[in-house]
Amino acid sequence: MVKKIITYIALFILGFCFLLPFAIMILGSFKDVQFAQLDPLFWIPDDPTMKNYIYIMRDGMFVRWILNSVIITVIPVATQMLFCAVLGYIFAKKQFIARETIFWIFMAVIMIPQQLLIIPKYIMFSDFGWINTYWALIVPELWGIMGVFLVRQFLQSIPNDLEEAAYIDGANDIQIFFKVILPLAVPVVATVGTFSFISNWNDLFQPLIYLTQEKMFPITLGLASMLGKEGNFGIEMAGSAVSFIPTFLIFLFFQRYFTEGIQMSGMK
Amino acid sequence: MTSKKSKLPLGERLKREWKRNAIVYIVLIPVIIHFIIFQVYPFLLSFYLTFMDWKVIGDPEFVGLKHWKYLLTDKLAWKAIWNTVMFSVYYIVPTMALGLVLALIINSGVKFAGFFKGIFFLPVVTSFVIVAGIWGWLFRGTEAGLINYLLSFIGIEPQLFLSNSSQALAVLAGLSIFKVAGTTMIYYFAGLQSIDRGLYEAARIDGASPLKIFWNITFPLLKPIHFYVAITTTIGSFQIFDSAYLLTGGGPSYATTTIVYYLYEQGFTSLNLSYASVLSYVLFSIILVISLVQRKYLGKDSNHY
Repeated sequence: MVKKIITYIALFILGFCFLLPFAIMILGSFKDVQFAQLDPLFWIPDDPTMKNYIYIMRDGMFVRWILNSVIITVIPVATQMLFCAVLGYIFAKKQFIARETIFWIFMAVIMIPQQLLIIPKYIMFSDFGWINTYWALIVPELWGIMGVFLVRQFLQSIPNDLEEAAYIDGANDIQIFFKVILPLAVPVVATVGTFSFISNWNDLFQPLIYLTQEKMFPITLGLASMLGKEGNFGIEMAGSAVSFIPTFLIFLFFQRYFTEGIQMSGMK
Repeated sequence: MTSKKSKLPLGERLKREWKRNAIVYIVLIPVIIHFIIFQVYPFLLSFYLTFMDWKVIGDPEFVGLKHWKYLLTDKLAWKAIWNTVMFSVYYIVPTMALGLVLALIINSGVKFAGFFKGIFFLPVVTSFVIVAGIWGWLFRGTEAGLINYLLSFIGIEPQLFLSNSSQALAVLAGLSIFKVAGTTMIYYFAGLQSIDRGLYEAARIDGASPLKIFWNITFPLLKPIHFYVAITTTIGSFQIFDSAYLLTGGGPSYATTTIVYYLYEQGFTSLNLSYASVLSYVLFSIILVISLVQRKYLGKDSNHY
């Protein structure tokens, strides 16, 4: 009984601490900015206002940043889901030349930190004319090794009988992939998609390097530039809250896939 | 079967293979080309860069080991490495401990466990920019900061936090702990669920206290998870950048200049791309060593996760 009470107290204290920053964000975003800058409890609004939201929505840049984020997120998420599913299937079930060697070369590359590739990629993209374009952030992210690994692991545990039955019924490779394999792989493909969404939507480092024009910024970089220059807590928090909405929705619907994906892959 | 195949001329064999697996190769060849362009080539290019003087404009010039030699005498680089190690000290054990505590609570059969699991995991999916924005406000170095306000209740003078060179790194580590503990919780939660219930029952029948059960059963049986989490957290801590960029800009007086922050500053503020490549190899070497340690001690077990 005592143990139970302690557990619940710990649960509520920790829960409160984890939610507090989000509460500050939401409440702070409804706060008028003019007074009480020096009050530490400033984030609790006594006179809620939509002013901050109206301000950021009127500021053309903010909407543009959100759109940029959508573009550089949605395209890679879609292609990652498709390509990782196809490649995962190929590496799990198909017999072809050097299959294992190719796969393990792919896997070895995961050990290279992305910070090492950023300088040569910056030079390459300068040559391609990709600096300040979406290409630099979309093309390299079209598929991902970790996603292929996840799908492969998942499909290896599925017996070959289903495929064989479909072959006997006269289905070809493409039909088998779309009608037999893909429906089975929905949970793992959703995992790949959610991971890809979160990492692209939240990425700060790559946009920081490849983009210098403000109108090309994704929302992360846009918000970062607001942090530096607005000096206005309410507006910052309103911006944060709006940019948090897509993440939060994805999180709400796909939380299960996320946590399973982490357990399965050992990914961060 | 294989011996019969190998007697055919190579051209014929490839032709048959193509016929059998055409669709596989149609998919695979572009993917391999993409892989070479965006992974393999940059990796090799960055090594080549370390031996060149590469300004953004003009032709590269071969300078041999110049940049590597400079690394040995560059006090700031060593400071950055030291800062990163210190960051790990602040970060690794608390992240593991908090993750374990969260997992234990979630796993103890409390009500609304799923809901709280979601709350603890929420920071993981939130961008660093949002968390840093709030964090910077919480840890304002004046009496107006919420943390300083709370500290005043227990009689502690207002702290400077982000503008104090001996506190800034710890505050950044606090931000990372908050942001990452949810991931650690998931690993520990999976580990806890795989422990045989029978062991607990047997211990309870023997009259062992909850604390004894934890130290003698739960904690040791989580050993592979401890090891795995320690490795991934360490690798993560060496790559830390976002919070330093957003909150301190590497300061005050280089106190939060981590390896990646220094790399960024050298490469993209000072446009010293060659030297930044050397630094990226320093980072790579450290991560490689950590990964090899993991391989050695975890071996095949690592396939579990």
